[in-house]
Amino acid sequence: MSSLQAFIAANRFGFGARAGELDSIAHDPIRWLSVQMDARYAPSPAFDGLPDTPAIVRGAMGQMRSMRQSSADPEAQRQMQRDAQKSMREDFIHEAAARTRAAIASQTPFYERLVHFWSNHFTVSSTKRQSLPLVAAFERDVIRPHIMGHFGDMLLASTRHPAMLTYLDNARSIGPNSRAGKRGGKGLNENLAREIMELHTLGVNGGYGQGDVVALAKMLTGWTVDMDGRGTNGFIFTPQTHEPGEKTLLGIDYPDSGVAEAENALRRLAVHPATATFIATKLAQHFISDTPSQVNINTLAQSFMRSGGKLSDVYRTLIALPDVWRLPLPKIKTPNDYIISLMRAAGSDIDDRRLAGAFRALGQIPFSAPSPAGWSDQGKDWMGGEALLRRIEIAQNISGVLHTRIAPDALLAQTIGPAASDMTRSAVRRAGSPAEALTLIFASPEFQRR
Amino acid sequence: MTNTITQKPLSRRLLLQGLCGLAMLPVCGGMRVSFAAGSGDARFVFIILRGAMDGLAAVAPYGDKNYTQARGAMALPRSALTPLDDFYALHNSFTSFGKLYTAGEAAVVHAVATPYRERSHFDAQNVLESGAARPHGARDGWLNRALGVMHTASKTPGLAVGQTIPLALQGSVDVSSYSPSGDGLPPDAVLIALQGMYSGDAAFASALSQAVGIHTLADDDGMGKVKGGRGKQAMAQTVEAVGKIIADPNGPRIATIEIGGWDTHAQQGLENGALANNFATLDAAFGALKESLGPLWAQTVVLAATEFGRTVAGNGTGGTDHGTASCALLAGGGVNGGRVYAQWPGLDATQLYQNRDLRPTLDLRQVAKAILRDHIGISAGDIERDIFADSVNLRAMDGLIRV
Repeated sequence: MSSLQAFIAANRFGFGARAGELDSIAHDPIRWLSVQMDARYAPSPAFDGLPDTPAIVRGAMGQMRSMRQSSADPEAQRQMQRDAQKSMREDFIHEAAARTRAAIASQTPFYERLVHFWSNHFTVSSTKRQSLPLVAAFERDVIRPHIMGHFGDMLLASTRHPAMLTYLDNARSIGPNSRAGKRGGKGLNENLAREIMELHTLGVNGGYGQGDVVALAKMLTGWTVDMDGRGTNGFIFTPQTHEPGEKTLLGIDYPDSGVAEAENALRRLAVHPATATFIATKLAQHFISDTPSQVNINTLAQSFMRSGGKLSDVYRTLIALPDVWRLPLPKIKTPNDYIISLMRAAGSDIDDRRLAGAFRALGQIPFSAPSPAGWSDQGKDWMGGEALLRRIEIAQNISGVLHTRIAPDALLAQTIGPAASDMTRSAVRRAGSPAEALTLIFASPEFQRR
Repeated sequence: MTNTITQKPLSRRLLLQGLCGLAMLPVCGGMRVSFAAGSGDARFVFIILRGAMDGLAAVAPYGDKNYTQARGAMALPRSALTPLDDFYALHNSFTSFGKLYTAGEAAVVHAVATPYRERSHFDAQNVLESGAARPHGARDGWLNRALGVMHTASKTPGLAVGQTIPLALQGSVDVSSYSPSGDGLPPDAVLIALQGMYSGDAAFASALSQAVGIHTLADDDGMGKVKGGRGKQAMAQTVEAVGKIIADPNGPRIATIEIGGWDTHAQQGLENGALANNFATLDAAFGALKESLGPLWAQTVVLAATEFGRTVAGNGTGGTDHGTASCALLAGGGVNGGRVYAQWPGLDATQLYQNRDLRPTLDLRQVAKAILRDHIGISAGDIERDIFADSVNLRAMDGLIRV
């Protein structure tokens, strides 16, 4: 029984087992998870040497600006721009690989799964060029420190971060009646305000309207990127672009009070009952099933409300639900989780570019979701004929190298052993070669579900 | 009209067909298969434009007396436009579509929207793809429901271009996904083993069976691999490869292509820029479909539509925010082309929807119904009962499709 629970813990709450890990989890699967929640936050050594947010803003963004102001001839300027973009791309591939390696090597994979979950909830994407240099630092500086803390703190940190301010266009949103706005030609941008309510807090049916979107957008004017090093962590509030006057959001009046308006509004949104339900639903869809029961959602939402959005409390409620300890595992691993599972099982390293190639082949490049809604968390959006073929290709590639180092029986036992079906065992046993046997293990439903 | 298509050698096809229990090919006693019009051979390609395309920039109502003033900084200069008539003009990026329009093989439907009237991309795309009157009003897609009532000999009637299936094609009828950038099918021994291993898991069994089906049609075995990527060249390459599959007599009848990147909140550009580049990508899809479908183009309709439009005026950051009505682009020999179909609502402040958006005067489901009824040949009764069950009073657009 405990070995089955270890398999569940390693896959439902982690990224699949590394060699020997199932045995150590099996001693006490619940404790294995709760220890990960108790650990105090400390920056991971996997990210040593990577720049923090203010350094990136000063560096990359400052560089773009100085290029614009450069007096070099147009061709030289274009060359500078190409060079800068190339080095940004290279930094990005390096950053994405560092993130993936942290998950592959992690001794606290539940913690890493939560990082990826919240990073996807507060999506910032490299698909927008201005945000690209900042998206990895967003996860390190906004998501990681707040994983076990209060949701409201994460929401505020997210909304202040230059990656979010540029990705959802708030950095240049200007109050029409502000000092800057009256000089003309500039105005509001609703994008961030709308997505905060629709995607980060209340959910689309959370009871807000177009008037609320405009009100929050006005409160958020002046929240922008600190290009000159006068603010904190890359954020600065500029009163000269802030829309003056009282605003009304969800029936509550907010007196004219500058940066405090949106701060107070975000704190209220963070503990709103609609937010509790929305977050509970997303967590349940992520960790339980694509179609979780209302009972489980309610239990999680109550935990969120009771604790004022204390996330570790909600996770403790989650791992105590009887349903999460049942087989079969119903969800299909996303490409991101599948690649990390493969590499954990293989126990081998891979260079940055090949890692990037695998993510590209499966259509889920880290930090590059196609929209502010993030990547889908539903199996039907990831499983198609072509998608399956790509997974099998990657499984074949890894197996072609790995078969000299690990025997099929050993790999099966250390990854899917406790849950492997007779069909899977029989297909692996009858495989024509060790490499083919490894491919089949990696392609098995047991390996691909969580 | 009768077409003759030469097929590639059948050996691996026959093996695979035995393998996954798929009766892929009709008994044809040779290498040639023929088909005729009006017998379930019509093709429909739905291009989903994710992110809300600025329809006023794609097809500008330059003849509206309020156009320049209402759009302000977003108004396109005449040099960026190719007039379609004395009122509407096409953005210059649409070179292929422009030629099709002139040839009577392309049309525009303007001031059109889904029934959704809020401004969430994700709910709006849900409505666009499910075909329901409200978000999450149906769990499957309108194209899958259409496949359910169609009469076709094809065993792979639905095809999603890409790795996965968009909601528009999800549902009870099995559909395939295909993207020409992979290595094709794994070796036969692995396929046989996988089939056994997946026999206890319906989702994996179905995905494998669909992959085998579509790759048997493509018969590519990884040959002529297309490099992935973005932009108009990548789009043209992908669509050309897909067009060949669709053109097979047993090929899919309904296909989807997804193009993202339309959410132009900032610096969308005018004659050139991010939006113009996206138009060129979309245009490349139209051009490549006509090219690769060959004679079958005559029996094809392509519809490109987006979840909603964008604000008429620019916002404070050189872009446009979420709006309501946009335009839809249609092409193919099945389209009664060379026309803009619209009940123009006007751009005066008093004529706008909520004082900010182009007011919708047509419903996209009217366009969809016309295609299903007049092009695919589904009866009006089936359409109202099985496909668009909550819009009985909404009439199919007459005259849009050549009949």
